[in-house]
Amino acid sequence: MTQASIWPIGAAAPVIPNYAAGSSSCAVHNHFFCTDWVSQNWGPVLWPALRGHIVLTVVAVAIGFVISMALALTAHRYRLLEQPTILVTTFLYTIPSLALFELLVAPVGANVYTAEIALVSYTLLILFRNTLTGLREVPDDVLDAAEGMGMSRTQLLLRVELPLALPAIIAGLRIAVVTTIALATIVYTIYNAGLGVPIHTALGEGPFKTELIAAGGLTILLALVADGLLVLVQRALTPWAQVKGG
Amino acid sequence: MHSFAEAFRFIAHNGAVAGQPALPSLVHLSLETLKVGLIGLAIALVIAVPLGAWLGHLHKGSFLAINLGNIGRALPSLVILAIGDAFLGLGLTVVEVALVILAVPPVITNTYLAVDKVDPEIVDAARGMGMSGAEVLGRVELPLAVPLIFAGIRTASVFVISTTTIASLAGFSGSLGDIIANETTYRFSGVLGAAICVAALTLAVDALLALLQHALTPRGLRLLARERAAASRAVRAVTV
Amino acid sequence: MPYSTGSKPGQRRARAVSFVLVAALSIAIAACGSSKSKSSSSASASTPAAATSGPGVGKPAVTIGDKNFSEENILGALYSQALQAKGYKITLKDNVGSTELAYKALTAGQIDMYPEYTGVLLSVVAGQTRNPASAAAAYSEAKAFVEKHGLTMLEPTPFFDTNAFATLPAYAKEHNLKSIADLKPLGKGVKLGGAPEFATRFQGLPGLKQEYGVTPTFVPVAIELSYKALEGGQVNVQNVFTTDGQLLSGKYTVLSDPKNLFGFQNVAPLLHQSVLAAEGPAFAETLNKVSALLTLKAIQQMNAGVSIDKQTPASVAQQFLRANGLS
Repeated sequence: MTQASIWPIGAAAPVIPNYAAGSSSCAVHNHFFCTDWVSQNWGPVLWPALRGHIVLTVVAVAIGFVISMALALTAHRYRLLEQPTILVTTFLYTIPSLALFELLVAPVGANVYTAEIALVSYTLLILFRNTLTGLREVPDDVLDAAEGMGMSRTQLLLRVELPLALPAIIAGLRIAVVTTIALATIVYTIYNAGLGVPIHTALGEGPFKTELIAAGGLTILLALVADGLLVLVQRALTPWAQVKGG
Repeated sequence: MHSFAEAFRFIAHNGAVAGQPALPSLVHLSLETLKVGLIGLAIALVIAVPLGAWLGHLHKGSFLAINLGNIGRALPSLVILAIGDAFLGLGLTVVEVALVILAVPPVITNTYLAVDKVDPEIVDAARGMGMSGAEVLGRVELPLAVPLIFAGIRTASVFVISTTTIASLAGFSGSLGDIIANETTYRFSGVLGAAICVAALTLAVDALLALLQHALTPRGLRLLARERAAASRAVRAVTV
Repeated sequence: MPYSTGSKPGQRRARAVSFVLVAALSIAIAACGSSKSKSSSSASASTPAAATSGPGVGKPAVTIGDKNFSEENILGALYSQALQAKGYKITLKDNVGSTELAYKALTAGQIDMYPEYTGVLLSVVAGQTRNPASAAAAYSEAKAFVEKHGLTMLEPTPFFDTNAFATLPAYAKEHNLKSIADLKPLGKGVKLGGAPEFATRFQGLPGLKQEYGVTPTFVPVAIELSYKALEGGQVNVQNVFTTDGQLLSGKYTVLSDPKNLFGFQNVAPLLHQSVLAAEGPAFAETLNKVSALLTLKAIQQMNAGVSIDKQTPASVAQQFLRANGLS
């Protein structure tokens, strides 16, 4: 098949730069890990992906936390709501993440809202369950004593039940944050953000080991750091509840 | 809803798409997904349950067992699959290795905690009756640990089946993920149909495991089942 | 279990909470702040600095999208950087999706323009099942089609990026393969790999059967994994593209397409007529200048720069434009 001029488009003779000159031989030969590629591409590729990933996660967990807190407080009051809520959130959780993203594209579009709706759905089950369990596990004698002291319902909630439920709530937050960070790697299939983007690019180039290790490593590091931060928050907020294993 | 009707039609036609004779059938893909997932789960159980139970029995290695659980959750499945693909090429073996890596942490953590937290008075009583360490583990601790161990196994099974579908993003073909990742070919109805199948598979495996759990739970425990469930929820929520 | 109503633990808690909030807020602010100062393309929409003088200054902003594979990323980068050099305000949205998603985004107004292949437009969007007779015909038919929908196409590139079939030289020798027609006697015995869309499009399995009588066993393989699947033996023959950088290496045999099943796939910017009118004549002129330079060799080298030399599409585009005085 010739690529000769098929109609007068103009006899172009462009200058073709030597692209290879800009890359280290380490990257071209796909060695294990090329630090020069990483430093060259931190600004244009890795940092935007990491930043996008953090934003996706923080927004999803924040919204999920607010929704599940509302749901848990309601279910705490009206026990009948517990089972239906568990059912709905479990159902959302079992839908495979990839499918949920794609299914939401049709009504919502291939944008950040779709990504966030899906990510939020996956946080609901664990946050709701843990918050409700935490609230429920407050011992009756403590509740009695507080009521005996004349506390109103709201005061009871804010000064007794929620603080005592904190370990369970934070345990749920830890799981939710880490799972969201993992799930956000798949957002790239419908929206161009998150650490999944360089992972996807790397998969297509060989696969390109350095980029994979860099992006994959950042994802894992992010999850470990986030988990560690939440452990510190828990220790700061609930010094009396030192549960074994943090 | 119109799309649900189309999705069920897709399922009823065994995943056929108009004008595409060459595509694999839905039944085939579902069975493949199930096979790949269950093999991974089984291998993970063979590794995690004995190890977690033994450590829990000896009350040693809590740091390892619990942090393995935390680290395991931090490993995004796509990353594991991609790294496996980069260094070993993508085949069934690499996918199974990834599944095992993801399934072991929840199982080992829960098994360890379950055996470790068995009421020490009961363990003392058993030893007092002359049972050896292994007998205590096998006849007393493990049966009492069944609910929490199965909680871990059931969590792991959900991970495993959903990761099998993600494997198609890394290039592995032969699971329901092929359909879900290719809306262009299968259209919305296909993706929805495949998603329903995956959800159904997950629930089916969970139900099977629930039956197994019921069979393995000692009769005395079944009578106290409701109380036990509440306690294990609290333990799981606060420490896992 | 102790609980506190006293002020001291309460104060401590409040302090801890506020510390965490401040930390979180500062991280967020730092992140947002740095995003505004980033001048190169980021993982999603990017707004690099436009030149401060030129025909584009004062014209309305334009959003350019590109499909989710690297050649399109390169084209998107080329067009957007060339326009920015002339003062236009351009936002580049990478990886909008497949052809269907990109076209939908264009008609819905989410993007104003994206680079499209003439043949793909005809077969995927216009639903044509017969082949245009020549590249010129493909272009004029595509242009005519889009003009009925309020869109238009600018001048096309010299290169055309069509589907082709690559195989390993050993396999080609074994089965005496020179053209696609030679695959017919192999029947289902040949494992043919391609993107899943390949199965539905006319320029895919149905066309193979109709034009060449070839009925292979189809193995869905993602575009990016093409060469890997071929090298690894997952497929015997793989659907690749004539502009792939890997083809420069000589490690693969490309089968000829005498019946031109895969047609002609020159690239041209596809955009709204209203956008073209609003941006002025220099807009089209700039884009046409860039397109005119994109020969097969040029695009192949750029593709190689990304897939083999591991550079970003933006960087490769920048080097090309600089070398040719367009940026």
